[in-house]
Amino acid sequence: MNRWSYVLIRVLQVIPTFFVVMVLVFAAARLLPGDPLTAILGERATEEMVVKAKHELGLDQPLPVQFWIFLKDFFQGNLGDSINLKVPVTRLILERMPVTLFLTLYAAVLAAALAIPLAFVAALRKDTWADNLIRGVFQLGLSMPVFYIGLQLLTLLGARLRWFPVGGYGNTFGEHLYYLFLPALTLGFNLAAILMRNLRASILEVLQAEYVDFARAKGLRPSLILGKHVLRNALISTVTLFGLNIGGLIGGAVITETVFAIPGVGRLMVDSIFGRDYPVIQGLTLTFALLVSLVFILTDVIHAQLDPRVEAA
Amino acid sequence: MAAPALLTVKPRARRRLKPSLVAGLVIIGAFVLMALFPQVIAPYSPTAFDYQAVLQGPTAKHLFGTDNFGRDVFSRVVWGAQLDMQIALFTTLFPFLFGTLIGALTGYYGRWADAIFGRVVDIVVTFPFLVLVIAIVAVLGPGLKNMYIAVSAVGWITYGRLIRAEIRGQKRAEYALAGQVMGYTPARIIFRHLLPNAITPAIVYWMTDMALGILLGSSLGYLGLGAQPPTAEWGVLIADGKNFLATAWWISTFPGLAITLAGVGFSLLGDGLADLLRPRG
Repeated sequence: MNRWSYVLIRVLQVIPTFFVVMVLVFAAARLLPGDPLTAILGERATEEMVVKAKHELGLDQPLPVQFWIFLKDFFQGNLGDSINLKVPVTRLILERMPVTLFLTLYAAVLAAALAIPLAFVAALRKDTWADNLIRGVFQLGLSMPVFYIGLQLLTLLGARLRWFPVGGYGNTFGEHLYYLFLPALTLGFNLAAILMRNLRASILEVLQAEYVDFARAKGLRPSLILGKHVLRNALISTVTLFGLNIGGLIGGAVITETVFAIPGVGRLMVDSIFGRDYPVIQGLTLTFALLVSLVFILTDVIHAQLDPRVEAA
Repeated sequence: MAAPALLTVKPRARRRLKPSLVAGLVIIGAFVLMALFPQVIAPYSPTAFDYQAVLQGPTAKHLFGTDNFGRDVFSRVVWGAQLDMQIALFTTLFPFLFGTLIGALTGYYGRWADAIFGRVVDIVVTFPFLVLVIAIVAVLGPGLKNMYIAVSAVGWITYGRLIRAEIRGQKRAEYALAGQVMGYTPARIIFRHLLPNAITPAIVYWMTDMALGILLGSSLGYLGLGAQPPTAEWGVLIADGKNFLATAWWISTFPGLAITLAGVGFSLLGDGLADLLRPRG
Protein backbone atom coordinates (compact mmCIF):
# COMPACT_ATOMS: atom_id res chain seq x y z
CA MET A 1 0.00 0.00 0.00
CA ASN A 2 1.46 3.35 -0.89
CA ARG A 3 1.37 6.48 1.18
CA TRP A 4 -1.54 8.16 -0.58
CA SER A 5 -3.93 5.25 -0.39
CA TYR A 6 -3.20 5.13 3.34
CA VAL A 7 -4.20 8.79 3.62
CA LEU A 8 -7.30 8.14 1.54
CA ILE A 9 -8.37 5.26 3.76
CA ARG A 10 -7.98 7.39 6.87
CA VAL A 11 -10.11 10.13 5.30
CA LEU A 12 -12.79 7.62 4.34
CA GLN A 13 -12.80 6.23 7.90
CA VAL A 14 -13.58 9.67 9.28
CA ILE A 15 -16.70 10.15 7.15
CA PRO A 16 -19.10 7.80 9.00
CA THR A 17 -17.84 9.14 12.33
CA PHE A 18 -18.49 12.67 11.26
CA PHE A 19 -21.92 11.72 10.00
CA VAL A 20 -22.86 10.46 13.46
CA VAL A 21 -21.41 13.64 14.96
CA MET A 22 -23.75 15.63 12.73
CA VAL A 23 -26.74 13.50 13.77
CA LEU A 24 -25.87 14.13 17.43
CA VAL A 25 -25.52 17.88 17.01
CA PHE A 26 -28.73 17.98 14.99
CA ALA A 27 -30.59 16.03 17.67
CA ALA A 28 -29.16 18.12 20.52
CA ALA A 29 -30.24 21.34 18.83
CA ARG A 30 -33.80 20.03 18.71
CA LEU A 31 -33.82 18.78 22.30
CA LEU A 32 -32.86 22.14 23.74
CA PRO A 33 -34.85 23.24 26.73
CA GLY A 34 -36.19 26.68 26.01
CA ASP A 35 -37.55 27.03 22.50
CA PRO A 36 -34.92 28.51 20.13
CA LEU A 37 -37.81 30.20 18.33
CA THR A 38 -38.61 32.20 21.44
CA ALA A 39 -34.96 33.14 21.58
CA ILE A 40 -35.11 34.37 17.97
CA LEU A 41 -38.50 36.08 18.01
CA GLY A 42 -38.67 37.28 21.61
CA GLU A 43 -41.34 36.51 24.21
CA ARG A 44 -44.12 38.55 22.64
CA ALA A 45 -44.26 36.85 19.23
CA THR A 46 -47.75 36.19 17.86
CA GLU A 47 -48.95 32.79 16.69
CA GLU A 48 -48.74 34.06 13.13
CA MET A 49 -45.10 35.10 13.48
CA VAL A 50 -44.21 31.71 14.97
CA VAL A 51 -45.81 29.82 12.06
CA LYS A 52 -44.07 32.06 9.57
CA ALA A 53 -40.68 31.73 11.25
CA LYS A 54 -41.12 27.95 11.51
CA HIS A 55 -41.78 27.82 7.81
CA GLU A 56 -38.79 30.03 6.96
CA LEU A 57 -36.48 27.91 9.10
CA GLY A 58 -37.95 24.68 7.73
CA LEU A 59 -39.05 23.60 11.22
CA ASP A 60 -42.50 22.56 9.92
CA GLN A 61 -40.93 19.82 7.81
CA PRO A 62 -40.61 16.18 8.96
CA LEU A 63 -37.38 15.50 10.89
CA PRO A 64 -35.58 13.49 8.15
CA VAL A 65 -36.23 16.34 5.71
CA GLN A 66 -34.94 18.82 8.27
CA PHE A 67 -31.83 16.72 8.69
CA TRP A 68 -31.30 16.59 4.94
CA ILE A 69 -31.55 20.39 4.76
CA PHE A 70 -29.17 20.64 7.72
CA LEU A 71 -26.62 18.41 5.94
CA LYS A 72 -26.98 20.24 2.64
CA ASP A 73 -26.62 23.63 4.31
CA PHE A 74 -23.56 22.50 6.24
CA PHE A 75 -21.72 21.33 3.13
CA GLN A 76 -22.66 24.54 1.36
CA GLY A 77 -21.09 26.40 4.26
CA ASN A 78 -24.41 27.71 5.55
CA LEU A 79 -24.69 27.42 9.33
CA GLY A 80 -27.61 29.82 9.77
CA ASP A 81 -27.53 33.29 11.30
CA SER A 82 -26.42 34.33 14.75
CA ILE A 83 -29.42 35.30 16.88
CA ASN A 84 -27.63 38.05 18.76
CA LEU A 85 -25.17 39.41 16.20
CA LYS A 86 -27.54 39.04 13.20
CA VAL A 87 -24.77 37.89 10.83
CA PRO A 88 -24.18 34.50 9.19
CA VAL A 89 -22.51 32.06 11.59
CA THR A 90 -20.10 30.97 8.85
CA ARG A 91 -18.82 34.52 8.43
CA LEU A 92 -18.49 34.92 12.20
CA ILE A 93 -16.47 31.71 12.48
CA LEU A 94 -14.28 32.50 9.46
CA GLU A 95 -13.52 35.93 10.92
CA ARG A 96 -12.55 34.59 14.32
CA MET A 97 -10.95 31.28 13.35
CA PRO A 98 -7.57 32.66 12.18
CA VAL A 99 -6.98 34.14 15.64
CA THR A 100 -7.64 30.82 17.36
CA LEU A 101 -5.62 28.83 14.82
CA PHE A 102 -2.72 31.25 15.26
CA LEU A 103 -2.96 30.91 19.02
CA THR A 104 -3.15 27.08 19.04
CA LEU A 105 -0.33 26.68 16.50
CA TYR A 106 1.81 29.15 18.41
CA ALA A 107 1.08 27.26 21.63
CA ALA A 108 1.96 23.95 19.96
CA VAL A 109 5.26 25.37 18.66
CA LEU A 110 6.13 26.82 22.07
CA ALA A 111 5.22 23.52 23.73
CA ALA A 112 7.52 21.58 21.40
CA ALA A 113 10.27 24.18 21.76
CA LEU A 114 10.10 23.80 25.54
CA ALA A 115 9.57 20.06 25.69
CA ILE A 116 12.13 18.67 23.23
CA PRO A 117 15.34 20.24 24.61
CA LEU A 118 14.25 19.88 28.22
CA ALA A 119 13.32 16.23 27.69
CA PHE A 120 16.85 15.62 26.37
CA VAL A 121 18.41 17.38 29.34
CA ALA A 122 16.20 15.47 31.76
CA ALA A 123 16.82 12.10 30.10
CA LEU A 124 20.58 12.50 29.65
CA ARG A 125 20.95 13.74 33.23
CA LYS A 126 18.49 11.27 34.70
CA ASP A 127 18.01 11.53 38.49
CA THR A 128 20.23 14.59 38.85
CA TRP A 129 19.01 17.92 40.22
CA ALA A 130 18.38 19.17 36.66
CA ASP A 131 16.10 16.22 35.90
CA ASN A 132 14.25 16.64 39.17
CA LEU A 133 13.84 20.38 38.69
CA ILE A 134 12.47 20.02 35.14
CA ARG A 135 10.07 17.27 36.13
CA GLY A 136 9.01 19.10 39.28
CA VAL A 137 8.20 22.37 37.51
CA PHE A 138 6.23 20.60 34.79
CA GLN A 139 4.36 18.45 37.33
CA LEU A 140 3.39 21.62 39.18
CA GLY A 141 2.25 23.18 35.91
CA LEU A 142 0.13 20.13 35.11
CA SER A 143 -1.66 20.53 38.43
CA MET A 144 -2.46 24.20 37.82
CA PRO A 145 -5.60 25.27 35.99
CA VAL A 146 -4.91 26.96 32.64
CA PHE A 147 -6.81 30.11 33.62
CA TYR A 148 -4.79 30.40 36.84
CA ILE A 149 -1.44 30.23 35.03
CA GLY A 150 -2.81 32.80 32.58
CA LEU A 151 -4.01 35.18 35.28
CA GLN A 152 -0.72 35.04 37.16
CA LEU A 153 1.38 35.60 34.01
CA LEU A 154 -0.95 38.40 32.98
CA THR A 155 -0.64 40.15 36.33
CA LEU A 156 3.08 39.70 36.77
CA LEU A 157 4.48 40.14 33.24
CA GLY A 158 1.62 42.17 31.80
CA ALA A 159 0.17 44.50 34.41
CA ARG A 160 3.07 44.81 36.83
CA LEU A 161 6.26 44.61 34.74
CA ARG A 162 4.55 45.83 31.55
CA TRP A 163 6.64 43.51 29.36
CA PHE A 164 3.59 42.30 27.48
CA PRO A 165 0.19 43.78 26.54
CA VAL A 166 -2.70 42.65 28.77
CA GLY A 167 -5.11 41.79 25.97
CA GLY A 168 -5.90 41.99 22.28
CA TYR A 169 -4.35 40.48 19.20
CA GLY A 170 -2.41 43.17 17.27
CA ASN A 171 -2.43 43.85 13.55
CA THR A 172 0.78 42.59 11.95
CA PHE A 173 2.39 39.15 12.15
CA GLY A 174 5.07 40.50 14.49
CA GLU A 175 2.43 42.06 16.70
CA HIS A 176 0.49 38.79 16.78
CA LEU A 177 3.63 37.02 17.98
CA TYR A 178 4.14 39.64 20.66
CA TYR A 179 0.49 40.00 21.78
CA LEU A 180 -0.15 36.28 21.85
CA PHE A 181 3.09 35.23 23.54
CA LEU A 182 1.67 35.00 27.07
CA PRO A 183 -1.60 33.38 25.95
CA ALA A 184 0.29 30.83 23.84
CA LEU A 185 2.70 30.09 26.68
CA THR A 186 -0.24 29.62 29.04
CA LEU A 187 -2.06 27.37 26.61
CA GLY A 188 1.03 25.39 25.62
CA PHE A 189 2.37 24.73 29.10
CA ASN A 190 0.20 21.71 29.87
CA LEU A 191 0.99 20.20 26.49
CA ALA A 192 4.70 20.87 27.03
CA ALA A 193 4.50 18.99 30.33
CA ILE A 194 2.75 16.01 28.75
CA LEU A 195 5.18 15.91 25.79
CA MET A 196 8.24 16.33 27.99
CA ARG A 197 7.24 13.44 30.25
CA ASN A 198 6.56 11.15 27.32
CA LEU A 199 9.63 12.15 25.33
CA ARG A 200 11.90 11.75 28.34
CA ALA A 201 10.61 8.20 28.86
CA SER A 202 10.99 7.43 25.13
CA ILE A 203 14.54 8.78 25.01
CA LEU A 204 15.51 6.67 28.01
CA GLU A 205 14.01 3.65 26.28
CA VAL A 206 15.68 4.33 22.94
CA LEU A 207 19.05 4.88 24.60
CA GLN A 208 18.85 1.23 25.74
CA ALA A 209 18.21 -0.04 22.21
CA GLU A 210 20.81 -2.16 20.42
CA TYR A 211 20.98 0.07 17.37
CA VAL A 212 22.12 2.95 19.57
CA ASP A 213 24.85 0.73 21.05
CA PHE A 214 25.77 -0.18 17.50
CA ALA A 215 25.91 3.46 16.43
CA ARG A 216 28.17 4.17 19.40
CA ALA A 217 30.35 1.20 18.56
CA LYS A 218 30.66 2.51 15.00
CA GLY A 219 32.15 5.60 16.56
CA LEU A 220 29.47 8.05 15.44
CA ARG A 221 29.57 11.45 17.06
CA PRO A 222 27.22 11.68 20.07
CA SER A 223 25.39 14.63 18.51
CA LEU A 224 24.71 12.56 15.40
CA ILE A 225 23.52 9.61 17.46
CA LEU A 226 21.17 11.81 19.45
CA GLY A 227 19.85 13.76 16.49
CA LYS A 228 19.48 11.03 13.92
CA HIS A 229 18.84 7.86 15.86
CA VAL A 230 17.50 8.77 19.26
CA LEU A 231 15.34 11.81 18.43
CA ARG A 232 13.65 10.31 15.40
CA ASN A 233 12.70 7.11 17.17
CA ALA A 234 11.73 8.82 20.39
CA LEU A 235 9.55 11.27 18.46
CA ILE A 236 7.30 8.56 17.00
CA SER A 237 5.12 8.06 20.06
CA THR A 238 5.36 11.76 20.89
CA VAL A 239 3.88 12.79 17.53
CA THR A 240 0.83 10.62 18.20
CA LEU A 241 0.50 12.10 21.67
CA PHE A 242 0.87 15.56 20.18
CA GLY A 243 -2.01 14.95 17.76
CA LEU A 244 -4.24 13.47 20.43
CA ASN A 245 -3.67 16.52 22.60
CA ILE A 246 -4.41 19.13 19.92
CA GLY A 247 -8.06 18.66 20.86
CA GLY A 248 -7.15 19.61 24.41
CA LEU A 249 -5.35 22.65 23.07
CA ILE A 250 -8.45 23.79 21.19
CA GLY A 251 -10.51 23.26 24.33
CA GLY A 252 -7.94 25.19 26.35
CA ALA A 253 -8.19 28.03 23.83
CA VAL A 254 -11.75 28.59 25.03
CA ILE A 255 -10.39 29.40 28.48
CA THR A 256 -7.22 31.21 27.40
CA GLU A 257 -9.11 33.50 25.05
CA THR A 258 -11.51 34.40 27.84
CA VAL A 259 -8.70 35.18 30.29
CA PHE A 260 -6.68 37.27 27.81
CA ALA A 261 -9.68 38.87 26.05
CA ILE A 262 -8.64 37.53 22.62
CA PRO A 263 -11.29 37.75 19.88
CA GLY A 264 -11.15 34.11 18.72
CA VAL A 265 -13.73 31.33 18.35
CA GLY A 266 -13.19 30.13 21.93
CA ARG A 267 -14.35 33.44 23.36
CA LEU A 268 -17.19 33.40 20.81
CA MET A 269 -18.28 30.01 22.20
CA VAL A 270 -18.45 31.31 25.78
CA ASP A 271 -20.21 34.52 24.75
CA SER A 272 -22.72 32.51 22.70
CA ILE A 273 -23.53 30.25 25.63
CA PHE A 274 -24.32 33.21 27.86
CA GLY A 275 -26.25 34.84 25.01
CA ARG A 276 -28.13 31.57 24.27
CA ASP A 277 -27.05 31.98 20.65
CA TYR A 278 -27.79 28.39 19.60
CA PRO A 279 -26.91 28.60 15.88
CA VAL A 280 -23.43 29.82 16.80
CA ILE A 281 -22.92 27.12 19.45
CA GLN A 282 -24.07 24.47 16.98
CA GLY A 283 -21.82 25.78 14.21
CA LEU A 284 -18.82 26.03 16.48
CA THR A 285 -19.28 22.52 17.87
CA LEU A 286 -19.33 21.11 14.33
CA THR A 287 -16.33 23.21 13.32
CA PHE A 288 -14.30 22.02 16.31
CA ALA A 289 -15.18 18.40 15.54
CA LEU A 290 -14.14 18.84 11.90
CA LEU A 291 -10.88 20.50 12.95
CA VAL A 292 -9.98 17.73 15.39
CA SER A 293 -10.77 15.06 12.78
CA LEU A 294 -8.40 16.77 10.35
CA VAL A 295 -5.67 16.91 12.98
CA PHE A 296 -6.12 13.19 13.70
CA ILE A 297 -5.71 12.36 10.01
CA LEU A 298 -2.63 14.59 9.81
CA THR A 299 -1.19 12.91 12.89
CA ASP A 300 -1.61 9.47 11.37
CA VAL A 301 0.04 10.60 8.15
CA ILE A 302 3.04 12.09 9.97
CA HIS A 303 3.24 8.97 12.12
CA ALA A 304 3.38 6.87 8.95
CA GLN A 305 6.13 9.12 7.56
CA LEU A 306 8.25 8.69 10.69
CA ASP A 307 7.55 5.02 11.17
CA PRO A 308 7.56 2.99 7.91
CA ARG A 309 6.26 -0.05 9.79
CA VAL A 310 2.80 1.56 9.96
CA GLU A 311 2.29 1.19 6.23
CA ALA A 312 3.33 -2.43 6.16
CA ALA A 313 0.63 -3.25 8.70
CA MET B 1 17.43 -19.25 64.36
CA ALA B 2 18.25 -16.38 62.01
CA ALA B 3 15.84 -17.53 59.35
CA PRO B 4 12.54 -16.57 61.04
CA ALA B 5 13.91 -13.15 61.89
CA LEU B 6 14.82 -12.60 58.25
CA LEU B 7 11.39 -13.78 57.18
CA THR B 8 9.65 -11.25 59.38
CA VAL B 9 11.93 -8.38 58.44
CA LYS B 10 12.01 -8.91 54.70
CA PRO B 11 8.31 -8.51 53.81
CA ARG B 12 8.07 -5.44 56.00
CA ALA B 13 11.02 -3.82 54.25
CA ARG B 14 9.54 -4.65 50.88
CA ARG B 15 6.12 -3.29 51.75
CA ARG B 16 7.37 -0.07 53.29
CA LEU B 17 5.16 2.74 52.02
CA LYS B 18 6.67 4.89 49.31
CA PRO B 19 7.18 8.54 50.28
CA SER B 20 5.03 9.66 47.35
CA LEU B 21 2.10 7.61 48.62
CA VAL B 22 2.49 8.99 52.16
CA ALA B 23 2.74 12.57 50.90
CA GLY B 24 -0.29 12.10 48.67
CA LEU B 25 -2.29 10.56 51.53
CA VAL B 26 -1.38 13.46 53.85
CA ILE B 27 -2.34 16.16 51.33
CA ILE B 28 -5.60 14.57 50.22
CA GLY B 29 -6.36 13.57 53.82
CA ALA B 30 -6.07 17.22 54.86
CA PHE B 31 -8.43 18.31 52.09
CA VAL B 32 -10.92 15.57 53.00
CA LEU B 33 -10.86 16.75 56.63
CA MET B 34 -11.56 20.31 55.45
CA ALA B 35 -14.39 19.00 53.30
CA LEU B 36 -15.92 17.03 56.17
CA PHE B 37 -15.53 19.58 58.98
CA PRO B 38 -15.23 23.05 57.40
CA GLN B 39 -17.14 24.68 60.28
CA VAL B 40 -14.52 23.38 62.73
CA ILE B 41 -11.45 24.35 60.67
CA ALA B 42 -12.58 27.68 59.18
CA PRO B 43 -12.29 30.54 61.68
CA TYR B 44 -15.01 32.65 60.02
CA SER B 45 -18.15 32.16 58.00
CA PRO B 46 -17.31 31.91 54.27
CA THR B 47 -20.09 34.33 53.34
CA ALA B 48 -20.08 36.85 56.21
CA PHE B 49 -19.33 40.40 55.02
CA ASP B 50 -17.09 42.56 57.21
CA TYR B 51 -16.83 46.08 55.88
CA GLN B 52 -14.34 46.95 58.62
CA ALA B 53 -11.83 44.55 57.07
CA VAL B 54 -12.00 44.94 53.29
CA LEU B 55 -9.07 43.89 51.05
CA GLN B 56 -6.68 43.24 53.93
CA GLY B 57 -3.48 41.35 53.21
CA PRO B 58 -2.58 38.12 55.00
CA THR B 59 -2.23 38.64 58.79
CA ALA B 60 -2.42 36.40 61.83
CA LYS B 61 -6.11 37.31 62.12
CA HIS B 62 -6.85 36.61 58.46
CA LEU B 63 -4.32 34.00 57.38
CA PHE B 64 -5.01 34.42 53.64
CA GLY B 65 -6.30 38.01 53.89
CA THR B 66 -9.80 39.25 53.09
CA ASP B 67 -11.63 39.97 49.84
CA ASN B 68 -13.44 43.07 48.61
CA PHE B 69 -16.43 42.29 50.87
CA GLY B 70 -14.23 41.60 53.87
CA ARG B 71 -14.83 37.86 53.64
CA ASP B 72 -12.03 35.73 55.11
CA VAL B 73 -10.21 34.09 52.18
CA PHE B 74 -8.86 31.20 54.29
CA SER B 75 -12.38 30.31 55.44
CA ARG B 76 -13.61 30.46 51.86
CA VAL B 77 -10.79 28.19 50.68
CA VAL B 78 -11.62 25.70 53.47
CA TRP B 79 -15.31 25.69 52.55
CA GLY B 80 -14.30 25.48 48.90
CA ALA B 81 -12.59 22.15 49.69
CA GLN B 82 -16.02 20.72 50.47
CA LEU B 83 -17.29 21.59 47.02
CA ASP B 84 -14.13 20.73 45.10
CA MET B 85 -13.68 17.35 46.79
CA GLN B 86 -17.30 16.68 45.90
CA ILE B 87 -16.49 17.69 42.31
CA ALA B 88 -13.47 15.36 42.28
CA LEU B 89 -15.68 12.47 43.39
CA PHE B 90 -18.81 13.13 41.37
CA THR B 91 -17.04 13.85 38.07
CA THR B 92 -15.22 10.51 38.29
CA LEU B 93 -17.34 7.99 40.20
CA PHE B 94 -19.86 7.23 37.48
CA PRO B 95 -17.22 7.18 34.71
CA PHE B 96 -15.11 4.78 36.79
CA LEU B 97 -17.96 2.36 37.50
CA PHE B 98 -19.66 2.51 34.12
CA GLY B 99 -16.41 2.56 32.14
CA THR B 100 -15.15 -0.46 34.08
CA LEU B 101 -18.36 -2.36 33.37
CA ILE B 102 -18.38 -1.52 29.65
CA GLY B 103 -14.65 -2.13 29.30
CA ALA B 104 -14.94 -5.53 30.99
CA LEU B 105 -17.86 -6.64 28.83
CA THR B 106 -16.44 -5.43 25.51
CA GLY B 107 -12.99 -6.77 26.37
CA TYR B 108 -14.39 -10.20 27.24
CA TYR B 109 -16.94 -10.65 24.48
CA GLY B 110 -15.13 -8.78 21.70
CA ARG B 111 -16.74 -8.97 18.24
CA TRP B 112 -19.78 -6.71 17.83
CA ALA B 113 -19.64 -5.26 21.36
CA ASP B 114 -16.07 -4.27 20.59
CA ALA B 115 -17.02 -2.81 17.24
CA ILE B 116 -19.76 -0.65 18.73
CA PHE B 117 -17.45 0.51 21.52
CA GLY B 118 -14.81 1.41 18.93
CA ARG B 119 -17.28 3.59 17.01
CA VAL B 120 -18.41 5.37 20.18
CA VAL B 121 -14.78 6.06 21.08
CA ASP B 122 -14.14 7.44 17.58
CA ILE B 123 -17.06 9.83 17.91
CA VAL B 124 -16.26 11.05 21.40
CA VAL B 125 -12.56 11.70 20.70
CA THR B 126 -13.58 13.82 17.71
CA PHE B 127 -14.68 16.55 20.11
CA PRO B 128 -12.17 18.29 22.32
CA PHE B 129 -13.18 17.13 25.82
CA LEU B 130 -13.65 20.63 27.18
CA VAL B 131 -15.60 21.77 24.12
CA LEU B 132 -17.91 18.77 24.40
CA VAL B 133 -18.50 19.36 28.11
CA ILE B 134 -19.09 23.07 27.50
CA ALA B 135 -21.47 22.28 24.64
CA ILE B 136 -23.47 19.87 26.83
CA VAL B 137 -23.56 22.43 29.65
CA ALA B 138 -24.70 24.99 27.06
CA VAL B 139 -27.64 22.75 26.16
CA LEU B 140 -28.55 21.81 29.75
CA GLY B 141 -27.74 25.16 31.37
CA PRO B 142 -24.93 26.21 33.74
CA GLY B 143 -24.58 24.60 37.17
CA LEU B 144 -22.81 21.77 38.99
CA LYS B 145 -25.45 19.09 38.38
CA ASN B 146 -25.38 19.62 34.62
CA MET B 147 -21.59 19.65 34.70
CA TYR B 148 -21.62 16.20 36.36
CA ILE B 149 -23.97 14.92 33.67
CA ALA B 150 -21.77 16.36 30.91
CA VAL B 151 -18.53 14.94 32.32
CA SER B 152 -20.09 11.55 33.03
CA ALA B 153 -21.37 11.31 29.47
CA VAL B 154 -17.81 11.60 28.17
CA GLY B 155 -15.45 10.54 30.97
CA TRP B 156 -16.26 6.82 31.11
CA ILE B 157 -14.59 6.28 27.73
CA THR B 158 -11.05 6.40 29.14
CA TYR B 159 -11.85 3.82 31.84
CA GLY B 160 -13.56 1.66 29.26
CA ARG B 161 -10.46 1.68 27.05
CA LEU B 162 -8.10 0.93 29.93
CA ILE B 163 -10.15 -1.99 31.29
CA ARG B 164 -10.91 -3.35 27.82
CA ALA B 165 -7.21 -3.54 26.96
CA GLU B 166 -6.39 -5.26 30.27
CA ILE B 167 -9.25 -7.76 30.02
CA ARG B 168 -8.30 -8.65 26.47
CA GLY B 169 -4.81 -9.43 27.71
CA GLN B 170 -6.02 -11.41 30.71
CA LYS B 171 -8.78 -13.50 29.15
CA ARG B 172 -6.31 -15.80 27.37
CA ALA B 173 -4.46 -16.40 30.63
CA GLU B 174 -4.56 -19.96 31.97
CA TYR B 175 -6.59 -19.12 35.04
CA ALA B 176 -9.35 -17.61 32.90
CA LEU B 177 -9.40 -20.60 30.55
CA ALA B 178 -9.47 -22.86 33.61
CA GLY B 179 -12.55 -20.98 34.80
CA GLN B 180 -14.25 -21.65 31.48
CA VAL B 181 -13.36 -25.33 31.62
CA MET B 182 -14.78 -25.51 35.15
CA GLY B 183 -18.07 -24.25 33.73
CA TYR B 184 -18.17 -20.94 35.59
CA THR B 185 -20.59 -18.35 34.25
CA PRO B 186 -19.06 -15.53 32.19
CA ALA B 187 -20.18 -13.06 34.89
CA ARG B 188 -18.21 -14.99 37.53
CA ILE B 189 -15.13 -15.20 35.31
CA ILE B 190 -15.27 -11.51 34.42
CA PHE B 191 -15.99 -10.02 37.82
CA ARG B 192 -14.40 -12.51 40.24
CA HIS B 193 -11.38 -13.59 38.25
CA LEU B 194 -10.48 -11.19 35.46
CA LEU B 195 -11.44 -7.82 36.87
CA PRO B 196 -9.33 -7.95 40.06
CA ASN B 197 -6.32 -8.57 37.82
CA ALA B 198 -7.28 -5.88 35.32
CA ILE B 199 -8.41 -2.99 37.47
CA THR B 200 -5.08 -1.52 38.66
CA PRO B 201 -4.52 0.89 35.73
CA ALA B 202 -8.08 2.14 36.10
CA ILE B 203 -7.64 2.81 39.82
CA VAL B 204 -4.36 4.62 39.21
CA TYR B 205 -5.96 6.66 36.45
CA TRP B 206 -8.91 7.39 38.76
CA MET B 207 -6.58 9.37 41.04
CA THR B 208 -5.28 11.49 38.13
CA ASP B 209 -8.82 11.87 36.89
CA MET B 210 -9.94 13.34 40.22
CA ALA B 211 -7.26 16.02 39.81
CA LEU B 212 -8.50 16.60 36.26
CA GLY B 213 -12.06 16.78 37.60
CA ILE B 214 -11.07 19.60 39.96
CA LEU B 215 -9.25 21.40 37.13
CA LEU B 216 -12.33 21.08 34.92
CA GLY B 217 -14.78 22.04 37.69
CA SER B 218 -12.78 25.10 38.62
CA SER B 219 -12.36 26.08 34.95
CA LEU B 220 -16.12 25.92 34.40
CA GLY B 221 -16.62 27.77 37.69
CA TYR B 222 -14.23 30.44 36.47
CA LEU B 223 -16.10 30.77 33.15
CA GLY B 224 -19.39 30.98 35.07
CA LEU B 225 -20.67 27.65 33.73
CA GLY B 226 -20.07 25.50 36.82
CA ALA B 227 -20.71 26.33 40.48
CA GLN B 228 -22.45 29.68 40.71
CA PRO B 229 -21.32 32.59 42.92
CA PRO B 230 -21.44 33.27 45.82
CA THR B 231 -20.63 29.57 46.32
CA ALA B 232 -17.11 29.14 47.63
CA GLU B 233 -15.79 26.95 44.81
CA TRP B 234 -12.06 27.41 44.16
CA GLY B 235 -12.49 28.40 40.50
CA VAL B 236 -15.26 30.85 41.43
CA LEU B 237 -13.00 32.29 44.16
CA ILE B 238 -10.25 32.90 41.60
CA ALA B 239 -12.75 34.59 39.29
CA ASP B 240 -13.95 36.73 42.23
CA GLY B 241 -10.44 38.02 42.82
CA LYS B 242 -9.26 38.37 39.23
CA ASN B 243 -9.93 42.12 39.08
CA PHE B 244 -7.91 42.64 42.24
CA LEU B 245 -4.86 40.62 41.21
CA ALA B 246 -2.64 43.67 40.87
CA THR B 247 -3.72 45.20 44.20
CA ALA B 248 -4.88 42.25 46.34
CA TRP B 249 -3.11 39.18 44.97
CA TRP B 250 -4.14 36.97 47.90
CA ILE B 251 -7.81 36.67 46.90
CA SER B 252 -7.09 34.62 43.76
CA THR B 253 -3.66 33.24 44.55
CA PHE B 254 -4.57 31.11 47.59
CA PRO B 255 -7.53 29.29 46.00
CA GLY B 256 -5.26 28.63 42.99
CA LEU B 257 -2.61 27.16 45.26
CA ALA B 258 -5.30 24.96 46.83
CA ILE B 259 -6.21 23.59 43.37
CA THR B 260 -2.54 23.04 42.55
CA LEU B 261 -1.85 21.31 45.87
CA ALA B 262 -4.89 19.05 45.44
CA GLY B 263 -3.67 18.20 41.93
CA VAL B 264 -0.20 17.34 43.18
CA GLY B 265 -1.76 15.32 46.02
CA PHE B 266 -3.87 13.19 43.69
CA SER B 267 -0.91 12.67 41.32
CA LEU B 268 1.30 11.50 44.19
CA LEU B 269 -1.48 9.24 45.40
CA GLY B 270 -1.81 7.77 41.91
CA ASP B 271 1.95 7.22 41.57
CA GLY B 272 2.10 5.68 45.01
CA LEU B 273 -0.82 3.35 44.32
CA ALA B 274 0.77 2.32 41.02
CA ASP B 275 3.91 1.29 42.92
CA LEU B 276 1.92 -0.45 45.61
CA LEU B 277 -0.51 -2.35 43.37
CA ARG B 278 1.88 -3.43 40.63
CA PRO B 279 3.80 -6.42 41.88
CA ARG B 280 6.95 -5.70 39.85
CA GLY B 281 6.27 -1.99 39.41
